[in-house]
Amino acid sequence: MHPFEYAAPETLDDALSLLREHGDEAKVLSGGQSLIPILHYRLARPRVVIDINALPLGDIAVRDGRIGIGALVRYHRLEESAELARHCPVLAEAARLIGNVRVRTLGTLGGSLAHADPAAELPAVMTALDARLGVASASGRRTVAARDFFTGPLTTVLAADEIVTGVEVPAMSAHGWAVEELSRRAGDFAIVAVVALIGLDRRGHVDDARVAFGGVGDRPVHAGAAEDALRGREPTAEVLARAAQAARDTLAPPTDAFVSGAYRRHVAGVLCRRALTRAVERARR
Amino acid sequence: MIARLVLNGRPREVDVRPNQTLLELLRDTLGIFDVKEGCDEGVCGVCTVLLDGRPASSCLVLAAGLRGRAVLTLRGLERDGGLHPLQEAFIRHGAVQCGFCTPGMLLTTLAFLEREPHPDREAIRAALEGNLCRCTGYTKIVDAVEAYVRAHD
Amino acid sequence: MTDAVATREGLRVVGQPIVRHDARDKVAAATAYAADWAMPGMLHGVVLRSPYPSARIVRLDTAKAEAMPGVAVVLTAKDVPRNTLSTDVPGQTTAVGPLRATLHVLAEERVRHQGEPVALLAAETLEQAHAALEAIEVEYDEMRGVFSPDEALASGAPAVHGSGNLLAQWRIARGDVAAAFRDAAVVVEGEYATQMVDAAYLEPESGVAWIDSDGVITIRLSTQVIEHFRDVAEVLQVPQNRVRVIGTYLGGGFGGKEDVTVEAYLGLLALKTGRPVKMVWTRHESLLSRAKRHPYRLRYRTGANARGEIIAQQIELLADAGAYAYLSALVLLYSTVTAAGPYRSPAVEVNARVAYTNNPPTSAMRGFGAMQTVFAYESQMDRVARALGIDPVTIRRLNALRRGDMLPVGQVIETHVAIPELAERAWAALGPPATPRSAQLRVGRGLACNLQPYGRIVWLHDWASAWLGFEMDGSLVVRCGCPDVGGGQASSLCQIAAEVLGVSLARISVHVSDSALTPLAGTTTASRQLYMSGNAVLKTAHELRAQLLGVAATILGVDADTLDMNDDHVVTADGRTLPMSRLLSECARASVPRSHLGVYHAPAGEPVDLARGSGKVFPDYTFGAHAAEVEVDIETGVVRVLRFAAAHDVGRAINPQSVEGQIQGGAVQGLGYGLMEEVVLEHGINLTTSFATYLIPTAADVPDVRAVVVESGEGLGPFNARGIGEPPIGPPAAAIANAIEHATGVRITRLPITAERVARGLGLLD
Repeated sequence: MHPFEYAAPETLDDALSLLREHGDEAKVLSGGQSLIPILHYRLARPRVVIDINALPLGDIAVRDGRIGIGALVRYHRLEESAELARHCPVLAEAARLIGNVRVRTLGTLGGSLAHADPAAELPAVMTALDARLGVASASGRRTVAARDFFTGPLTTVLAADEIVTGVEVPAMSAHGWAVEELSRRAGDFAIVAVVALIGLDRRGHVDDARVAFGGVGDRPVHAGAAEDALRGREPTAEVLARAAQAARDTLAPPTDAFVSGAYRRHVAGVLCRRALTRAVERARR
Repeated sequence: MIARLVLNGRPREVDVRPNQTLLELLRDTLGIFDVKEGCDEGVCGVCTVLLDGRPASSCLVLAAGLRGRAVLTLRGLERDGGLHPLQEAFIRHGAVQCGFCTPGMLLTTLAFLEREPHPDREAIRAALEGNLCRCTGYTKIVDAVEAYVRAHD
Repeated sequence: MTDAVATREGLRVVGQPIVRHDARDKVAAATAYAADWAMPGMLHGVVLRSPYPSARIVRLDTAKAEAMPGVAVVLTAKDVPRNTLSTDVPGQTTAVGPLRATLHVLAEERVRHQGEPVALLAAETLEQAHAALEAIEVEYDEMRGVFSPDEALASGAPAVHGSGNLLAQWRIARGDVAAAFRDAAVVVEGEYATQMVDAAYLEPESGVAWIDSDGVITIRLSTQVIEHFRDVAEVLQVPQNRVRVIGTYLGGGFGGKEDVTVEAYLGLLALKTGRPVKMVWTRHESLLSRAKRHPYRLRYRTGANARGEIIAQQIELLADAGAYAYLSALVLLYSTVTAAGPYRSPAVEVNARVAYTNNPPTSAMRGFGAMQTVFAYESQMDRVARALGIDPVTIRRLNALRRGDMLPVGQVIETHVAIPELAERAWAALGPPATPRSAQLRVGRGLACNLQPYGRIVWLHDWASAWLGFEMDGSLVVRCGCPDVGGGQASSLCQIAAEVLGVSLARISVHVSDSALTPLAGTTTASRQLYMSGNAVLKTAHELRAQLLGVAATILGVDADTLDMNDDHVVTADGRTLPMSRLLSECARASVPRSHLGVYHAPAGEPVDLARGSGKVFPDYTFGAHAAEVEVDIETGVVRVLRFAAAHDVGRAINPQSVEGQIQGGAVQGLGYGLMEEVVLEHGINLTTSFATYLIPTAADVPDVRAVVVESGEGLGPFNARGIGEPPIGPPAAAIANAIEHATGVRITRLPITAERVARGLGLLD
């Protein structure tokens, strides 16, 4: 690794003023599971590494039907938290799919969102949930909708002096949910991932649908077309299949050296149908 | 910079460079070769340590950021100069060929069994999915873990 | 070489699943691998590599780098005393003709593959070394390159080296192929493609070199060949007895550490600086530029009669040698000899070629050319079976070679061929068929058999030596040059010595893999090490035994051939015993040596003319059969291996647990080859230089491998053992392809079998 200066602020304000001072010559270190390999490969050469692991951003709090999750909550906590299991189980299921056990020990929610890998699970989950991201800089705080946050491969709306402080998601314990993923091997980044949440009204018709894809573009894709095809309808097998098809038809995934766009598109349709089916089963229970 | 950690039960303070990883601290500064270098990106598992009881890639941890956390390497398992029963099981079941993956496999297994003491073979495989082995094909590693689980039921 | 006690029942130690002596150290992380070594004043060495696959070096200026802090020396081609490494036949002592395959230690005016070494430096710290590397100024002028054998062999293609791009060619022509095809009831044509893969050992290439107090340049590294001390001496232009290679216990080799890797650089840096130097390649570096497995195109035309007997094979092989020859000519030979598989083939034509390209160089890797052909010949066999309505086991039983049959190359098979038994047992080991767990899943089974040579080509006049010596207290020392790659090589030598000399295993210490201190035993490659060093230890032990029993006979007043050695004693037929320590004192008194150096020579042969020839190429072969049960998701193409069985005739299992481990490990490497591993190149640029993109199987990707060990009692190794290092890697890819066809009707002819390839085969993307 290149040499760098290391700072470990203990308050958010200290961290933000360091970021303001160093701008794009600094890199923020949380879990390190994405940043440190980049430094080993010498793909980035920050002058300063700002280690934010001491900041008080590690809480999970449920209040008024909304769940606040701090940016420093580790993946394994998302997996194991009793509160999330009760109020937002889709997050626990997604976290279980991330990387390997060591990545889940240290990797953080905020880190995953800021890193914005198009094939990562959590950006897709936040997009499906229509989460709100808390963002802070030395100038103040703002909230960004997850659906507006990701702007390209490894790119977000974050300015050089901003960090994600946490997310807020609705508590959706009555919803059915599912995460479906296809990857080359169990712990790999997804070739395609689908996150689906379904809420049913008293007649058993869909009154809320939230669907998002990962791995099919340069950022998570909010499958509005699928949601529209479901809302108000009885979720029969044909309705789900048509919704999945509608979602698939809006996709134009890229072809890379490993996987073709056509295959991604096909798989997206299959996994979407499977995710919707499982989400509906869960919603009915 | 000073790195502060509790290494195999002993509090340590060591002078480190800001960009020095825990793996480099252990191997280059302290001469502890329980952890190996295999890929520098947290994928292969040969650098595994237990960080506050959970498996972590020491190649991805900056030593300066340890802040007094507990780090366990393989020698931390030794009891009265003898081997841990899981180590004995690995030997008995032929779970060691070149041995490069072995320390990581052992630590990961022990951390896993703390949380899930009665896994079946499929669960063992899922737990070890992040520790690559190129020699054994995994079958005898799973045999060893299964035998250890049965013996400690 | 047979032993006096040839039956399993009479063996005491051989055949026991003993705990290997190195296992204890390894579970305690007490084994010092090559990188676990530090010396006072040690420098860190790094290599500068070309980013371009084909370019001229226009300017190379190291002045800035030399001035950087901590830098001890920066070297380029002009600083290398002899800048040529011969890579023809690692570890060879007997001359086998002019050495043709060479490469430069550091590039001269041209680079021919991405990652080719251009400069070398050493600095006080690794960080300083990397900073200095970036200060080396290189200007490249990119040249047009060729990136496939077809492209390379097309007329007008730029030459990778001085002359044309055809590196080597082998041909076999036996019988009348045209007539046989006319008589065939069924003819199956297939074109198959196997991919480039990496050895992907977990321990990267690593070593430390220093100059010892006698001025000997000592290199302690992870290698399968300690005889490279000669190559290093050549490069450094020092006498061969001034270079010593100490081979450490490897963290995996698989052929990737058969060629020279770090040793020439370490030797150069140690010589130029006078200080110890360490070099450890990064994973990126290793995946980028270390020699790989040859990708092949295999075109097969197979004809069978109505009974299902193969009567004609017309085979065309085309392989990619990459930028440098390394062992390509020999790899191609293995493919040529095994192209028709372990089957009788009355009429066979094989036309095999390998071409230079500007891709990464390809060289030795477990299987060594006999692996790629399995995918083709076993896919063909299954297709013939399907066309005739014959089941997979029956067709193989029908066609399997038998003792006395001749391989297309003209070699008569002299040992038992267990293919029918192996096929039946592997198939049966799958158990009752699984039922698909849901509507979109299909289950299928496939079988694949193979033959893999063990022992080196007989023209190489292979030999190995070993030294056994008793200490005065009856404990035994074994010294043998054999590097231990993790397969229990060193441990097996102890078992053999214990068996013959009656010493308890706990009283044997073994020293291996030191070119100055252990008698040379040749390479740990070619599934030869147990065969060769095992036989060397066996022979030496017998000779030592005879030496000592001569003295014992006098003491005990009986004929020497009525004596046995057991449990650290000499034992007479009527039960009297003599402790070894007493015998050894008597030997000292009688001036009879307590030690012996022995040499084992493998049966040698002369080169054959493949096109016409008759003759032996390899000493013998190991046969195997693998069976797979797979589950295919017909909506996504995802393949899961549910069950896997691997059966091999190993002659005799010296250590059954080690043998099972080799079979299971080799089979899983074969599954990786079949399902997920691929070096992806785009115009010579490697896109898979990380374990995140170069995928090897994890514990969650493969099922248990049921190893079925068959012991025919026939083999050329000690106690009739056969080599088992390589054979298990061959069949899995074909077994999987055959199982997928059984499950879905889709025949995949390209490796790796990715979900997308299966999806395309299923028509899902139309």
